[in-house]
Amino acid sequence: MNASIARRKTRTNLWKYVAGAVIALLLAHNSVYFKKLDEVKAAGSAGSGKFDAATYAQTFWRTKLIPSLPNAATDLATLLPLLKTDKDKAFTTYSQALGIGNIRYFLVKGEGTVTAVNDNDVTLSLTSGETVRLATEYIFGNAARDASGLIKITEFDNTTDLNNVSAAINDIVRKDVIPPLKVAAKPGKKLQFIGAIELNRAHLHLENMEVIPILVN
Amino acid sequence: MTSQRFIFLWFISLLLTSSCTNKTDSGQPKKVAVIVSTLNNPWFVVLAESAAAEAKSLGYEAKVFDSQNNPSLEADHFENAIVSGFNAILLNPTDSDGSIVNVQKAKDAGIPVFCMDREVNSSKVATSQILSDNYSGCVSIGEEFVKDLNKKGAYVEILGMVGDNNTWNRSKGFHSVVDRYPGLKMVAQQSGDFDRNKAMDVLESILQAHPDINAVFCGNDAMAMGAYQALVAAGKAKEVGVYGFDGADDVMNSIRDKKIKVTGLQSPQTMAKTAAQFADTYFKGKRDFAQRIPVAVELVTQKTIDDYETPAKP
Repeated sequence: MNASIARRKTRTNLWKYVAGAVIALLLAHNSVYFKKLDEVKAAGSAGSGKFDAATYAQTFWRTKLIPSLPNAATDLATLLPLLKTDKDKAFTTYSQALGIGNIRYFLVKGEGTVTAVNDNDVTLSLTSGETVRLATEYIFGNAARDASGLIKITEFDNTTDLNNVSAAINDIVRKDVIPPLKVAAKPGKKLQFIGAIELNRAHLHLENMEVIPILVN
Repeated sequence: MTSQRFIFLWFISLLLTSSCTNKTDSGQPKKVAVIVSTLNNPWFVVLAESAAAEAKSLGYEAKVFDSQNNPSLEADHFENAIVSGFNAILLNPTDSDGSIVNVQKAKDAGIPVFCMDREVNSSKVATSQILSDNYSGCVSIGEEFVKDLNKKGAYVEILGMVGDNNTWNRSKGFHSVVDRYPGLKMVAQQSGDFDRNKAMDVLESILQAHPDINAVFCGNDAMAMGAYQALVAAGKAKEVGVYGFDGADDVMNSIRDKKIKVTGLQSPQTMAKTAAQFADTYFKGKRDFAQRIPVAVELVTQKTIDDYETPAKP
């Protein structure tokens, strides 16, 4: 009688162990998983999935930015002296940025003589005496997107789309603006340009200024 | 009938006027909860304290809650804030997916939530999200990286936590520039979990297989310090450039000492103050907030380091 109870107990315990082991295995199986780094990278903070940054950039460039340029751009002959004498007024009056912080952008225009054609830029001596560089290699960042102030942050509810717009506008600059600039830029030649610059409001440096070109004649 | 309508309109206008002050109906100041992922990291302490200080300076009561990097503790803080009658929440989330449900609960209770520094992966729950422009900051770092290496060389990338959006925004910004230059070869990409010691271990083992690298790009400054230590131990600190992100004091000092090349300076103070100011304008009736607002990250190099104050050396 006692032996039969003991056998039953052993069997019950065995089932308990088996059930416990199955649950533990299930938990372990479901709590550990492996993903390829590439999959995680692709997921990242994806954009809306519907937004076409290239089309948006083309439309913006053609219908908004280029038509606005003659009136919207500030002449460097006006801006540079103001930045030196009244920085705050210059930033308040002429700068734009979609975000907040010290980095601000200006839509500028100027005229000057090519003094050097380098691997990464074209150096111009402005009629007002200053020197600027028109970028031909490092066309990155948000200057061309933000400087006009024509794109509003409220149009976007995710940062991926916003970043892709910058990249798409920079692609237009690389494709449509830089090749003719490189052809036209010969030492001694006069050029008129409209472009975008990035300046730090708190730590302002006007020497060695680089312009992302948008329109060059 | 006319007098009833007048009394009704007067009552409604009284309600509206009272909701546009920094006081509650009981005459007490409105309350702002600052719920932060961790107070075990000085960067987040600055974020939380700046948010609370700005809220107080605007006339509100402010209380800081530490989620200790634990989403369930964060959920408790939200419950507490809702039950205790807080009027706005300034949030630094513990988890970009896991925190969504908490923000939704506050939204359902009519409490606006303003995210600081870290985002939640939803555009429908938070009132606004004020975030470091990690992507653009790393575009600038990438450009400097390409110039420093003269468009060619072998490099290693040490990523932050793979589940964190900031990790990938930084990595994608960097690669959006560097990948355009075929002369630059990434020989290894591994996670250092934003941790100094882990980054040191990771780079030490990578250096065994790839001793001839030219640079290391790290997803934050703690990992940059760890990478630098690994390079010192391998006798390669002078020939391999280290690039970080954050603007942490020890890296700013290391840039000054020409040990580290570059970092991207974030501003927790700007994000925290903006979040508190947004809560203030919300109380005053503003509702049309942009869902995500980037806060500029400044490029700090050995050429521009003198623009920045010398932080105290530890």
